[in-house]
Amino acid sequence: MSLGFDLTQAFFNPIQHSAPPSLTKRQTKISVIGTGNVGMAIAQTILTQDLTDELVLVDINPDRLRGEMLDLQHAAAFLPRTKIVASVDYSITADSDLCIVTAGARQITGESRLDLLHRNLKLFSNIIPSLALHSPASILMIVSNPVDILTYIAWKLSGFPSNRVIGSGTNLDSSRFRSLIADHLDVNAQDVQAYIVGEHGDSSVALWSSITIGGLSLLTLLEKKDIAYEKETLEEIHRAVKESAYEVIRLKGYTSWAIGYSVANLARTILRDQRRIHPVSVLAKGFYGIEGGEVFLSLPAQLGRGGVLGVTNVQLTEEEAQRLHDSAKTILEVQSQLGI
Amino acid sequence: MHRNPSNSYLGLEVASAFFKPIQQTAPPSPTKRHTKITVIGTGNVGMAIAQTIITQDLVDELALVDVNADKLRGEMLDLQHAAAFLPRTKIVASVDYSITAGSDLCIVTAGARQIADESRLNLLHRNVSLFSKIIPSLAKYSPDTILMIVSNPVDVLTYVSWKLSGFPSNRVIGSGTNLDSSRFRSLIADHLDVNAQDVQAYIIGEHGDSSVALWSSISVGGVPVLSFLEKQQIAYEKETLENIHQDVIHSAYEVIRLKGYTSWAIGYSVASLARTIIRDQRRVHPISVLAKGFYGMDGGEVFLSLPAQLGRGGVMGVVNVHLTEEEELKLRESANTISEYQSQLGL
Repeated sequence: MSLGFDLTQAFFNPIQHSAPPSLTKRQTKISVIGTGNVGMAIAQTILTQDLTDELVLVDINPDRLRGEMLDLQHAAAFLPRTKIVASVDYSITADSDLCIVTAGARQITGESRLDLLHRNLKLFSNIIPSLALHSPASILMIVSNPVDILTYIAWKLSGFPSNRVIGSGTNLDSSRFRSLIADHLDVNAQDVQAYIVGEHGDSSVALWSSITIGGLSLLTLLEKKDIAYEKETLEEIHRAVKESAYEVIRLKGYTSWAIGYSVANLARTILRDQRRIHPVSVLAKGFYGIEGGEVFLSLPAQLGRGGVLGVTNVQLTEEEAQRLHDSAKTILEVQSQLGI
Repeated sequence: MHRNPSNSYLGLEVASAFFKPIQQTAPPSPTKRHTKITVIGTGNVGMAIAQTIITQDLVDELALVDVNADKLRGEMLDLQHAAAFLPRTKIVASVDYSITAGSDLCIVTAGARQIADESRLNLLHRNVSLFSKIIPSLAKYSPDTILMIVSNPVDVLTYVSWKLSGFPSNRVIGSGTNLDSSRFRSLIADHLDVNAQDVQAYIIGEHGDSSVALWSSISVGGVPVLSFLEKQQIAYEKETLENIHQDVIHSAYEVIRLKGYTSWAIGYSVASLARTIIRDQRRVHPISVLAKGFYGMDGGEVFLSLPAQLGRGGVMGVVNVHLTEEEELKLRESANTISEYQSQLGL
């Protein structure tokens, strides 16, 4: 691909007394592992939102990988100038600020996230050490399911400190939760503070007691105004959130757009050092009385350029704390069967 | 997402408990109608377009239509689930065209997927019959809308849509060579190590094998490239230029061969056109328009890409780009290629 003549020098005249470009602060670089529907939705959203200077794609299928890279590159004139590269070789990921792992088997309709585990564990033994080797200072973000256990595995395999390994966790669940509540109250979802924590899966915990809208506690308001609500109603909303991914998979075969926005949102907070709180899968040992073993699950965590800055000290009711412990146990049981 | 009464878990009294109205208000007045875009076809292209439009916050309402009810609902839900990460946008979907009513812009992507190495013109017969159902419905529900055709072969299908809709020609366009030109600019920009947005370069004519690269009017940072080369006495070969053009023509085929289809690039391309139209940007884009009367093309009614100024009302005019004799000839040949296929349709 050559014009056959060097035009650059003919087009531009350098200014007087200049020196070669100094080494400016290193450019931001994000690697996305896995160019399936999820990986590409994440990559494309990151690109559209102009979050990085360099975007790297890695996959085992070289044809699809190259096709996806070209399809993004072809949009260059519509986007801010971003370097987009791809390779089956992990050396291309060197010096990434953030590595996002989406590689893994797709969740089949009706298959619980935990059933995917064995298929993905083997894959990670190839992926994670390569990423850690080429980007020893990177932040690792795991998206593949079951995300909590795979984040734990990634932590073990990478040898990274725990603040640099996170899972996308319940960031999206919480967003769906906030949207459902916002919808009923006819408010903007961004005015709703609401967390779903614990396992990204069937045992997730909805923190009803700490939901606020425009700063007002939902449950306290309901009690004050003597508005009767039934526990079942609240459980239904939570169940709707848990079912929503399965519903989309049943209808279109997979999910992509929502998780794409969710992960791009996390990437922005990290790369731009936003110090926002997101419910993401972190090392939960020591929080809320979770002492049983080393487990990753979603807690409201403050994120920034260095990764996890800390976990928010949200007040849980006894029941919520109990459910969180149950969720941790669920995950630990499966982890113990892996023998890591 | 709008409230579903049968799922009214928390009850309306909760909403009113949260907010107190201020004194002396009246019910909300009907403000200027909100902007609405409809996308027909929720395949890879339609969804890439829809998602890019939403990410770029271009509309208040997005409507999706497809024949496959399950896929349609799944795609709608997948976008709705991202609500907390996006500006508040109403996203709806239905197999019924009534949902498209009042659209400012209707983008048609429905049609058979282009198979590797299948020329765009071979798709034609498969898509014309589909359009006889789609276009009249869109025109009926949104008589003032702008119709944008993306399905291939785009030039002929834009002509077909114009005929079927009964719309004036300034309100029917095809995505045309907007993306080809963008790829072209990127290749040139790449070689000169400049930003693609500093490169003005058009590929016009058929969105296909007979497209025409307007080498004589390429400029970089305002400097016309070819005349500059001549002045500087830098030698170049015509073949080199032709190779770059061929690269552009084949790039779509290459992506299709590698990943099965194209989606992201066309998504950005169409979202860029949507922005120019909805926000009345009056920018010039190479898109498929009624070409009769331009550059000596008087033969028949044919749509092909020309650099056209676009705004809220659609096509405002075609730019008076200066073509060399050779470029004009190639453009007329391109027009003939398209006319031939059109004549076989008997429209």
